[in-house]
Amino acid sequence: MKHPDQATLALQAGGDLGVFARWKVERHLASCDRCRDEVDAFAALREVSSDLSEIPEIQWNRLAAEMKANIRLGLAAGECVRAGEPALRDTPLFTGMRALVAVASIAALMITGIMLEHPAPTVLADDGMVVQSTSNGIEVSKGGQMLRLNNPDNVDPQQRVTYSPDAQGSVRSRYVDPATGYVTINNVYAE
Amino acid sequence: MVGAIGAVVVCAQDAPLPSGSVSVNVGNHSPVTVISTAQDQSRATMRGAAMVLDLHMALTLRNDSPGRIHGITLRVVSQEVAMGGKGSVTIPSLNVAPGEVFPIRIDMQLVRPTQVAGGGPLAQVDLDGVLFQDLSFFGPDRLNSRRYLTACEKEAQRDRDHFKRILAASGKEGLRHEMLDSLQRQSDLKPLAVKVRRGGPVVSSAAAAPTERLAEFAFLQIPDSPVEPVQGWAQIAGNEARAPQVEVRNRSGKPIKHVELGWIVSDQAGKQYMAAALPSAEPGLYLPPGQSAKVLQDSTLNFSSNGQPVNVRKMTGFVNQVEFADNTVWVPSRQTIDLPVLHKVLSPSAEELRLTNMYYRKGIDALIDELKKY
Repeated sequence: MKHPDQATLALQAGGDLGVFARWKVERHLASCDRCRDEVDAFAALREVSSDLSEIPEIQWNRLAAEMKANIRLGLAAGECVRAGEPALRDTPLFTGMRALVAVASIAALMITGIMLEHPAPTVLADDGMVVQSTSNGIEVSKGGQMLRLNNPDNVDPQQRVTYSPDAQGSVRSRYVDPATGYVTINNVYAE
Repeated sequence: MVGAIGAVVVCAQDAPLPSGSVSVNVGNHSPVTVISTAQDQSRATMRGAAMVLDLHMALTLRNDSPGRIHGITLRVVSQEVAMGGKGSVTIPSLNVAPGEVFPIRIDMQLVRPTQVAGGGPLAQVDLDGVLFQDLSFFGPDRLNSRRYLTACEKEAQRDRDHFKRILAASGKEGLRHEMLDSLQRQSDLKPLAVKVRRGGPVVSSAAAAPTERLAEFAFLQIPDSPVEPVQGWAQIAGNEARAPQVEVRNRSGKPIKHVELGWIVSDQAGKQYMAAALPSAEPGLYLPPGQSAKVLQDSTLNFSSNGQPVNVRKMTGFVNQVEFADNTVWVPSRQTIDLPVLHKVLSPSAEELRLTNMYYRKGIDALIDELKKY
């Protein structure tokens, strides 16, 4: 007989299984004492856990003060034990090439940060609607959205696609459609 | 729909888009009918925190009107994804007889954050307008397709007449020479990449931007133009131009409701590029005969070529399109666009592009047969 794993039994104890999985596990439990005991054990553990969650009121300020005092005590004890050893900054760990690499890494990180914060001034302000010709058509775009009318792939090289922009906010592409033989004029408008 | 696709894609990382992801609607009483819609290759893919939706649509439409269709514009909207941005697909230079079917392909990519929720289709494709041979128009015209398709048709008539004249005067060899010259010019055009943003400068740090200066336009005088540019400026900082404005005067006898200027820039080496079109603001221009008005746009344009910034040294403007209050449209003549300064920088019209493509693919006899149809 194949038994469900521990995680499945724990979820069954908490009533967290899906409908189909619960039905399968219940069928198994009906004929398997060992797994039923496991589920009962998980259920009992849940009872204990819920009791534990009801902890008495804690005086946080006092607890914090005690933790701080313990940390100071630990640091002082550490200094006593390390007496006579060279200071941290004098260890070979932070000299020579390692120091150079660390400084270079920090510098690279700072430069990257500055560049990201202050982009190159020629970045285009494409927050508005833009119409333009592209390598294979004309498009109107805004933000992450775009509508493009594509040129066919097999336009005669002798009569390439011509583009005609319009200062009102549109671009036209014109070609002879090799499939139909018709002159086709696509236009996109930013209106 | 978007939420459902998101759930599928999060599980699968890459999944085909279900049918119904794109809604196609040509409206009631439309002169065209949707015969079929295929989007088999469309997919949704997870890329980091974004979802990329590749839509590849093949529409087949039928002309159910009694007139010949010479141009059509479909509007493509994804309100949820592009936050007000939209697109369109225009097929000018058509010649579709009543009852004939014609295909339109739409290749679109949408990128949106994975977390965006919502219902409804990912994208909506609807009819913006149909232009007929007699220049009559049908459609809601939300994207000013009437004006654009009419201007394309006027250019098409102009260029077909030009090539017919050459055929009549110089024969097949003359026309062949003209086609080769046009193909050479198309491959010589210097591509300029432009990024346009409504409002303030594209560069965020004023400290880093080169000093902004007020640069004045020089104007190409076109004798038969109904509009005369008087004076104009733009703020220039390195490869950025901001807030262009041009004062124009109506020297025709009819009121005008739209003016579009062409904008040529020269870099420090003297190279010239066709930078942009400068249209009058929509809506609101009404320019009676003899009166002046300003064509201005509150936008910033950023120019580069082959990945390098193109620093603007000089600017030249010329009148490229005028729409009168009666919906008729003026475009420059063939003599004007063949002036050396424009010939070097202007792309050919859609019709010239179509006809040179036909010559390139099918030869001179097919081109002559095509010209005879008009």
